[in-house]
Amino acid sequence: MRRREFLRYGGAFAAFTAVSTSFPSFSAAQTTDPADAPTGEEADFDLEIVDVDVELIDGSVVPMYAFAHAGKTPTIPGPILRVKQGDTVRIDIRNSSSRSHGFQILGQDNASASGLDPSDGDGEDKARIEFVATKPGTYFYVDGDNMPINRVLGLHGALIVEPKNGFADGAAKKKPMPYAPASSASIKSLFGALGEAAIGGKPARFPGKAWQAGREYIWIFNQIDPVLCRRVAAGENFSASDFQEQFHPRYFTINGLCGLDSAHDKATCPTGNTGEPALLRTMNAGLATHSPHIHGNHVFVLTQSNANGVPVYQQDLFEHDVWLMPPMMVKDVLLPFTAPPDIPPAPWRMSQEKYPLRYPMHCHNEISQTSAGGSYPMGLVTDWHIDGPLATS
Amino acid sequence: MTTIYRPISDPLEYDTFGCHPFENDPATPDRTTRQVFFQRQVADWNVDMKDGSQLQFWGFKDPNVSGSDSPWPSKIIRVKQGQIFHCEFKPTKGAHTIHWHGIEPTPMNDGVGHTSFEVKSSYTYQWCAHQAGTYLYHCHKNTVLHFEMGMYGVLIVDPVTASPDSGNPKYLYDPYDRASTTEAPGITVGAPYAAESILVFDDVDPVWHKLDHNAGMCGDDVGLDKFDPRYFLINGVHNGLTQIDRRTTTTTTAGKNVLVRLANASYSRLHVTLDVDAWIVEVDGRPLRTNVAKGAFAKPKLLPKGTRLEVAVAQRYALWIPKIPRGDYRITGNFHHWITNKKHFDGQAVAKIIAT
Ligand SMILES: [Cu+2]
Ligand SMILES: [Cu+2]
Repeated sequence: MRRREFLRYGGAFAAFTAVSTSFPSFSAAQTTDPADAPTGEEADFDLEIVDVDVELIDGSVVPMYAFAHAGKTPTIPGPILRVKQGDTVRIDIRNSSSRSHGFQILGQDNASASGLDPSDGDGEDKARIEFVATKPGTYFYVDGDNMPINRVLGLHGALIVEPKNGFADGAAKKKPMPYAPASSASIKSLFGALGEAAIGGKPARFPGKAWQAGREYIWIFNQIDPVLCRRVAAGENFSASDFQEQFHPRYFTINGLCGLDSAHDKATCPTGNTGEPALLRTMNAGLATHSPHIHGNHVFVLTQSNANGVPVYQQDLFEHDVWLMPPMMVKDVLLPFTAPPDIPPAPWRMSQEKYPLRYPMHCHNEISQTSAGGSYPMGLVTDWHIDGPLATS
Repeated sequence: MTTIYRPISDPLEYDTFGCHPFENDPATPDRTTRQVFFQRQVADWNVDMKDGSQLQFWGFKDPNVSGSDSPWPSKIIRVKQGQIFHCEFKPTKGAHTIHWHGIEPTPMNDGVGHTSFEVKSSYTYQWCAHQAGTYLYHCHKNTVLHFEMGMYGVLIVDPVTASPDSGNPKYLYDPYDRASTTEAPGITVGAPYAAESILVFDDVDPVWHKLDHNAGMCGDDVGLDKFDPRYFLINGVHNGLTQIDRRTTTTTTAGKNVLVRLANASYSRLHVTLDVDAWIVEVDGRPLRTNVAKGAFAKPKLLPKGTRLEVAVAQRYALWIPKIPRGDYRITGNFHHWITNKKHFDGQAVAKIIAT
């Protein structure tokens, strides 16, 4: 998607260029990191907003909205936008929905457009936003119009900013990390420890491999109220407060999926050998507060978004088996993929245990483990599994 | 209009994931010699609510305790770090499991139906806790209902060594390597304490307490998306009594260290405040300390008095109050709706520490 062809500016575009007045002005990632300076590299995306019907876990169908790469199959959440720190990011957005929409990246400056009328179909009426990607981490992009309705009805996705120089071990470059080494001494120390069998002559906790760039999963949580979906599709307009007041979700999704479907989804269910740490970028697009709980390993909480959607690098890495995810929270956590630590001493392949070592991750506010008032555990759950013995680097 | 279809799945697998999870009574795989042994069975109790009504709760009883049943919530289980643990579990009234929440054993010993099995009549769980701290145990069958029905208890893993501080003879965690362990000012390594307040917050929707064991499991709508809590409790004590009941009040001598272990067993957002300064010294069974070799990358954190700490559902926090001054201190839990974040009507429960 880099180096896109020249885009003709349609007449409709002029109307979109004015900075939105419907949002608070965001003071985004204000860092003094010199790596935030523009590199001249470009990242271009062409997105489209469409109306969709979504089939839920029990076969029922609800009307929602979705993002797509222009002309491609729409998905909820929308396509992953992956850029490098310092890239000049250009995103063109066409509104092919029957309703008016907007687009906004939370936590990046100059990254919003609003009031996009439905496209008239001549292919020229696109809005464009352009900004320099700063501060490595995970960001929400959403339709910021009609907050929170359009977002909860499907218009949300992840923008990932990769670091320009993300190594915990300087020039040796054997220890990649997803942020700049100066982000936090503890994060640097953790990524430096991954893959070390011994530290200071003592057995260490993370033998195996260092974290590998790209070894990551994105978990976006959402909730669906089928009644409100249908009422919006039928043309009803809600104020934000009315919508929030009446919001009564009956389906709870991770990456748009429930229960068995999310446990089966390769992009959702982390797998690997012992000693292959994985980054989990966790995000809550909905209105409920989730309490994701993982079995088998604890996670280290690395980042937490502030009220503007900017990742805050944690100086103290709390190791949780449940982490708090209020609405619009983004937290990057590290799943170390160590051997489950409370197994009595045993070789990798115990003789009677069931393999692979499969564990669930589910929201512990168990209301979210239902769909349509029952059907436990067809809600916000997935699995992860450890497939093999200690990986060697 | 485009339709986003759900992926194709095997109907049989769909059925065993949800409606008909695998039930079994296997021998414990890779069984080894135990160092500590517990037994648990399933029981039910009537519990008094604030308005005088009685509701049915389920839980785990210890068959070795005479006088029929042990109290709700289920009895605390306390083991030492490094012990090989066995618990013989004999459910009745249908299949159940025990999930050792925060403990990370093999899948067969994890108590989750869809990744292993649900216990039909008997199973012996096996694990070996590697880290002292605060945990829970609870049933993981139709968990949405069984957790609300009260099938949980506190699990504490104590360190192996004795406290070096005779005035504060208990110990939160082993300071395995003093030389490389740095701590925040005011913290004594390992957080030794003399008195302990263990508080599990819960909320109750009476409608759910009339449902059947398997309610909703096979696709029927039994209203498990509607949770409207009316009662708020700590350790099974309703909020009208928590400031005087011995299960929710802790008495200690002024000048000693006090440890508070918090857990949220409700389906609400729980905001906790103390009216005394405390240090967060452990989260979810993991001490806060800096030791790279041991994979510990956090320092204890001061929770100044009056500061709100949000405890996620099923999270645990250990708070350490050094040299508690003479006085009465309230530990206040406010229960907020998980979607609107509005405080529930009567959604407050207060426990007490009395230092004399
Ligand atoms: Cu049960
Ligand atoms: Cu649990």
